Amino acid sequence: MALKSAIRDLRNKPDLLFLRLPNLVSLVCIVVGVVWLLLLPLNEYSRRTYISENALLPGQVHAYFTGSEQNIFRGYKREIEGLLNEGAEPPARREDTTLNPTYVEQQDSRMAYMVDVANMSTEYPKKLRSILQVAGLKVATQKYEYTSAGITHQGENVYGIIHAPRGDATEAIVLVAAWRTADDELNLNGVTLALTLARYFRRWSLWSKDIIFLFTPDSKSGTQAWVDAYHDLHPASVQPLPLKSGALQGAVVIEYPFEHRFHSLHIVYDGVNGQLPNLDLFNTAVAIASGQMGIGANLQEMWDHNDSYEARLQTILRGMAKQGLGYATGAHSSFMPYHIDAITLQPKGQGWEDEMALGRTIESLCRSLNNLLEHLHQSFFFYLLMESQRFVSIGTYLPSAMLIAGNFTIMAIALWMRTGYHLRSAPSEPRTPQKEQNPAPVTEKTEQTARISGPPVVERLLALPLTLVTGLHLLGLVPLWTLNTLSHQFFTSVTYTFVVVDVVLPLVLAALLSNGLGLFSPIVPQQYLLIKSFSLLLLGLCLSTLATLNFSLSFIIGLLCAPLSFIGRLQGLSAPLRYGLAVFGLVLLNLLSPPTILLGACWYFGVSVETVLTQAAFGWDVWGMWTQVVVWCVWWPAWLIGCVLLGSSVF
Amino acid sequence: MSDVPFILALQPRTSHGLGAQTKLRHEVMTVLSLFSLLWACIVFLWSAPAFASSDYHEQLFLQPFPQSSLLASFNFRSNTSQASFDNQHFRYFPRALGQILQHANTKELHLRFTTGRWDADSWGPRPWNGSKEGGTGVELWAWIDAPNDDEAFAKWITLTQSLSGLFCASLNFVDSTKTTRPVVSFEPTGDHPESSNLHLLHGALPGEVVCTENLTPFLKLLPCKGKTGISTLFDGHKLFDAAWQSMSVDVRPICTRQGDCTIQIEQTVDMVLDIERSKRPRSNPIPRPVPNEQLVCDTSKPYNSEDTCYPLEKVTEKDWSLSEVFGRPLNGICPLADSDGSAEYPVCIRVPHERGIFYTEGTKEFKLDDGFTRCFDLDPSKPFDLAIPEQPINIQAPLDEPILHAERTIVGHGQERGGMRIIFENPSPTAAVDFIYFESLPWFLRPYIHTLQATITGRDGLRREIPASDLVSETIFRPAIDRERGTQLELALSVPAASTVTLTYDFEKAILRYTEYPPDANRGFNVAPAVIRILNGVDSSPIYIRSTSLLLPLPTPDFSMPYNVIILTSTVIALGFGTIFNILVRRVVLVEEAEALGSQTIKGRILGKVLALRGKFGRKETKVE
Repeated sequence: MALKSAIRDLRNKPDLLFLRLPNLVSLVCIVVGVVWLLLLPLNEYSRRTYISENALLPGQVHAYFTGSEQNIFRGYKREIEGLLNEGAEPPARREDTTLNPTYVEQQDSRMAYMVDVANMSTEYPKKLRSILQVAGLKVATQKYEYTSAGITHQGENVYGIIHAPRGDATEAIVLVAAWRTADDELNLNGVTLALTLARYFRRWSLWSKDIIFLFTPDSKSGTQAWVDAYHDLHPASVQPLPLKSGALQGAVVIEYPFEHRFHSLHIVYDGVNGQLPNLDLFNTAVAIASGQMGIGANLQEMWDHNDSYEARLQTILRGMAKQGLGYATGAHSSFMPYHIDAITLQPKGQGWEDEMALGRTIESLCRSLNNLLEHLHQSFFFYLLMESQRFVSIGTYLPSAMLIAGNFTIMAIALWMRTGYHLRSAPSEPRTPQKEQNPAPVTEKTEQTARISGPPVVERLLALPLTLVTGLHLLGLVPLWTLNTLSHQFFTSVTYTFVVVDVVLPLVLAALLSNGLGLFSPIVPQQYLLIKSFSLLLLGLCLSTLATLNFSLSFIIGLLCAPLSFIGRLQGLSAPLRYGLAVFGLVLLNLLSPPTILLGACWYFGVSVETVLTQAAFGWDVWGMWTQVVVWCVWWPAWLIGCVLLGSSVF
Repeated sequence: MSDVPFILALQPRTSHGLGAQTKLRHEVMTVLSLFSLLWACIVFLWSAPAFASSDYHEQLFLQPFPQSSLLASFNFRSNTSQASFDNQHFRYFPRALGQILQHANTKELHLRFTTGRWDADSWGPRPWNGSKEGGTGVELWAWIDAPNDDEAFAKWITLTQSLSGLFCASLNFVDSTKTTRPVVSFEPTGDHPESSNLHLLHGALPGEVVCTENLTPFLKLLPCKGKTGISTLFDGHKLFDAAWQSMSVDVRPICTRQGDCTIQIEQTVDMVLDIERSKRPRSNPIPRPVPNEQLVCDTSKPYNSEDTCYPLEKVTEKDWSLSEVFGRPLNGICPLADSDGSAEYPVCIRVPHERGIFYTEGTKEFKLDDGFTRCFDLDPSKPFDLAIPEQPINIQAPLDEPILHAERTIVGHGQERGGMRIIFENPSPTAAVDFIYFESLPWFLRPYIHTLQATITGRDGLRREIPASDLVSETIFRPAIDRERGTQLELALSVPAASTVTLTYDFEKAILRYTEYPPDANRGFNVAPAVIRILNGVDSSPIYIRSTSLLLPLPTPDFSMPYNVIILTSTVIALGFGTIFNILVRRVVLVEEAEALGSQTIKGRILGKVLALRGKFGRKETKVE
C-alpha cells in the first residue's frame, strides 16, 4: 500500500517525476557504476584464475630444451650478427622514421614515403630461409605493402612449417618472432630463439598440430598481412600465401630484445578492438612460467605488483585503458579478430633467467597447446585481470558500464515523457469546476486521481529534433574520413582546427536554431528537450551495446559523456546569470571535447598528436580498429548536441 | 605322415619349403577324417587345372629420400582361381575376406588406411602412382553386382559392416551421407564380364585414426602372418611412427582372353620413415639435445668455438640398417612365396650402384641395368639384414618431378560462411595436364557452385580471372540432401603448361541439431580429401593424387552455458523491455483526460454509454434503498 500511495504521490507531482527524479536516478547510476568498478579488486568480487580446459595440462611435461641447443643458439645468433656487421640493415631499422615525424619537414609532401620496413636487401629473408630449409621445414615468403596516412609500410614475411609427423594438416600452432618488437627494439635474441626452437621441434614426433614459425619484419603490419592472407581476406597489396596449413589454434609471440639475462616474463594479451584471448591461454602461460619454470609473470607493465588493492586497481585500469583504445599491443593482436588466441611473451628486468629458460617456457606452452583436442573455448573471453592469478569475469564487471550507459537511457526516456506535458509551475491546482460537473464514470479510483488536474497532453514536434540528431551523427563521418585519409603531416593542424570548430560550431548551430534564420519557424522549448532526448537515447543505446563488446571503451566514453545527462538549455534565470553559466559550462564542455581530450592525453603522456593519429589511421587501415568510429560517430555528436543545447541559452 | 601326399597333391607346382608343410599341416589336421580326405581328393581332381594360377608373391622395396627419410614399400600379392574362390576353397586368399566379398556380391574391392601427408617436394611422385593410397583416414570403394541401386546400397552396407568388424575400423559409419557414386573418377582395374551389372560405391572416413588395431587384422590376411618373410618387419611402434604411411587391400578379378579368371588380392604397406627418428632406441626415444662433443658444427665459421656452433646438417647420408630402422632384422623369406622363375626378388633397394651396401652372408645381390636398383635373393634359413654405411651425398637416385601439385584449403572465417580454395600447379613447361577432380562434401557444408571462380597464374606470374568454364570441360554435380546424402562434385579440368590454377567457391555452414553433434571433443568436422585422377594417355594407368583432409568448424553450442545464458538474459530483457516499452507506448494521463481521449473512439463511446447506464442503474438502486 505504501508503494501504491508513493506512486500515486509521484503522479501528483509531475515536476518531481520529470525533473528531479531522473536527474537523481541518473546520478545514482553513474556513481554506482564507478563505485562498482572500484569494488572489483576486492577479494569478494574477484576470483582466482584456474585452468578450465583440462586437456591443456600446463607444466606437466619435462622441457628438454637445454644443453647443446644453447651452442646452436649462439651459432645462429653469430650468423645473424654477421649480417648486421656486414652492413646490411636490420630489416626494420628504418621503421624508426615511421613514427618519428622529424623527417617530415625535409620531404616533399606529395611523395609517398617509402618506409622501408623490411629493408630492400633480401639478405635477411634469404638467411632465414636457408636456416629453416636446412632444418627441414617447408619455407615460404610473403611480401606485403600497406599505405596509411601517406606512409608506405612494406616488408617480407618468412615462415616455415613443421608438418606434424602423422598429422593431416588440419590444425596448426603459430610461433611468431618479429625483427622489431612492439616497443620497436631489435629482437635479435627472439628471432634466434625461434630459429633454434624450429630446429629442435623438428626432431620431435609427438606434434599433433603443424607448427608454423613466422618471422615478420615488424610487430605492426607483418602478422596482420600474414594472418589476413592465411584466411584469404588480404588486400591486393598483400601477396597470397603459397604455403598453408590447417586451422590456427593458437599463437605465441617471442620477444627478447636485449642481451642481458632477464628476471620475469611480461605477458601481453590485448587484441585489436579490445578483444582478448581465451583466459586459458593466459593462465597456461602463467602456470608454466611461474609454476614450472619459476619465472615470475607480470602483466600490464606492473613490475612490482604487491597484490594490494591499489596495485590491483591500477592493473585493471591499465588493462581498461589498453582495451578502450583498442590498438594492437603487439604482434599477437592481429590474430584475435580471427578467433585465434594469441599472447606475447616479453622477458623483462635484470635477473638470472637466460634465453634457454624462455625457450623451455615456449616448449612447454607448445606442448600444452599441442594437447588441445578442441579449439580453446572453455574459459572466459571477457575478463579483467588484476593480477596474474586473479580476474573478474564479464558477469561481475559488466553492470558497471551498463549502469553508466543506462543513465543516458533513463534520462532520454524521462525527457520523452516530459515533452508530452505542459509543465506548470504550480503542481497542485484547485479542481476545475468542469470536472465536478462531469457526471460520467466516477469510480472510486478515478475520484481520487481526479482531484488534481494533470498537465494537458501536447503534440510532439519531431521533425526538427530527428533531423538535427541524425544530421550531427552523420557529420561525425567528416572527422572520421579526414583523419583516416589525410597524410600524417597534417594531423596536428587538423586536430587544432577541430578544437576551434568545436568551439564555434555549437554556437553557430545554437544561433541558427534559436532564430530560425528565416528558413524554418523558430524552435520551441519542447524541441530542445526532444533533441536532448534523442541524442541521449542514441548514446545510451550505443554504449550499452558497446559494453558487451568492448567494456572499457564504453565505460570511458560513458564517463566522459556523463555531464551531458545533466546539461541542457538554461531557463528561468536572469540574463546575466544565464550568460555566465552558459559560457562557463561551454568552457568546461570544451575541455571534455574529443579533440581536447586527445591533446590533453598526448600532453600528459608526452607523445605527439601526430604519432597517435598516425597510429590510429594505421589501425583503421590495417588492423580494422573501430575506436575512431565510436569517438567520431557516437561520442562527438552527443557532445556537440550537449554544447548546442547549452549554447542556445545565450540566444 | 599320411598327409604328405596330400600336400604334394595340393601343390602340384611347388615342391619346396619345410615351413610350408608345417604351415599346411594345421589346415590339414582339421580335415583329417576320411570323408573329408575323400572329398578333398575329389575337389582336387575336379579343379586341378585351376590351381595353376594359385600363387603368392611378396616384395619389399626400399628407397632412401633426401633429408634422412626412407620409403619402405611392402607388396603382397596372391591369386586364386575364380572356381576355387566360388567354391570357398581358399588357400592364399584370406577366407575371412573372401566370404565377406561373396556375401556382399562384391566383385572388386579397394580399401585404404592412410595417415600423414605425402611430401611431394622432398619425396617426388607417389609410390604406385598413387593408386595404392587413400586419403587421410579410411577410404573404401567397391564394385558391387546388384540389379538396382537400392540393392547395391544394401549390399554396400553389408560390406562396410563386415569390413568394420574384420579391420577394427569404424567403417560401419559409412552411411548414406558418406557414400557417393563417382562417375568418372574411378574405373575398375579388374576384368569384369560385360553382362554383370556393377555399381561403384565410394565412402571415406577422414577422421579415422589408423593404428595397430588395424595392422593386426591386416597382417592376419597374409599367408605368413608376420612370422616369416618381409612382413616380419612390421613393428607397430615403428610403422606408426612413420611420417607417412598407407595400407591397402585390393581385390580384383583378372581374366585371360580364354575366359579363365583368377581373383587377385594385393596388399601393400607403404611408409616413409624418418631414419633419425626410427634409429632411436626404444628405451630412450626422447630426442634430447645431443652432448656438446657430438654436435656437428660448421668449422669454417669464424666464430666456431666450444660454446658456439652453427650446425652443419645433411652433408652425409646417415648410415642405417634394416634392424635399426625397423627394430628387428628380416626373418628369412616366406616359404609360400613363389620366387623361382619370376623376376621378383623379395628385397630391392634403389640407391646408386656406387654406394656400398653390407648384407648378410648367403645373400645374392643383383644389380639391375637402370643404374640404381639392386635386388637381393635371400637365404631362406637365415635372418637377413642390410646396412648402408654413412656416405657423403654425391649421387642420389633421381626423383621425378610430380606431374601436378594440388592443395585444398578452407578460407574465410566465422561461423556462417566460408570458402574453398583449390590450387593446382602444373610444373611441366610443355605439357598441359588433364585430370578429374572429385570431391565429396558432407551435407552440412553447402557449396554454392555458381560462385565457382578460376584464377590462372601463367608463366609471366600475373594473376588473371578467367571463367571457370574455360578450364572445366565437364561437371558432374549431385547436390546434397540434408541428413541423407552429401554433395558429390566431379570436374574434368585442364591446367595449361607452367601455370597455376586457383579454383574458389563459397559455401555455407549448416546448423546441426544438437543430437547430431558427436559426443567426442568438438574439434570440428572432417571433410574427406579430394581425389584427383590424372589422365595421361588412354593406355597408361591413371595417376592418383589426394589432397589433405579439411577441418570444418561448425557453429557449436557449448550445450550448457548458452542454455543458462539464454534463459537468464531472456528473462532480464523481457523484464526490462516490457517496462520500458510500457512507459513509452502508454501515456500517463489523468482520468478526466482519459475519458476525454477515450470518448472519441467508437469503442470508447460505447463503453462510456455502458458505464453511464450502469452508473444510472447503480444510482437508482441506491435511491431505492
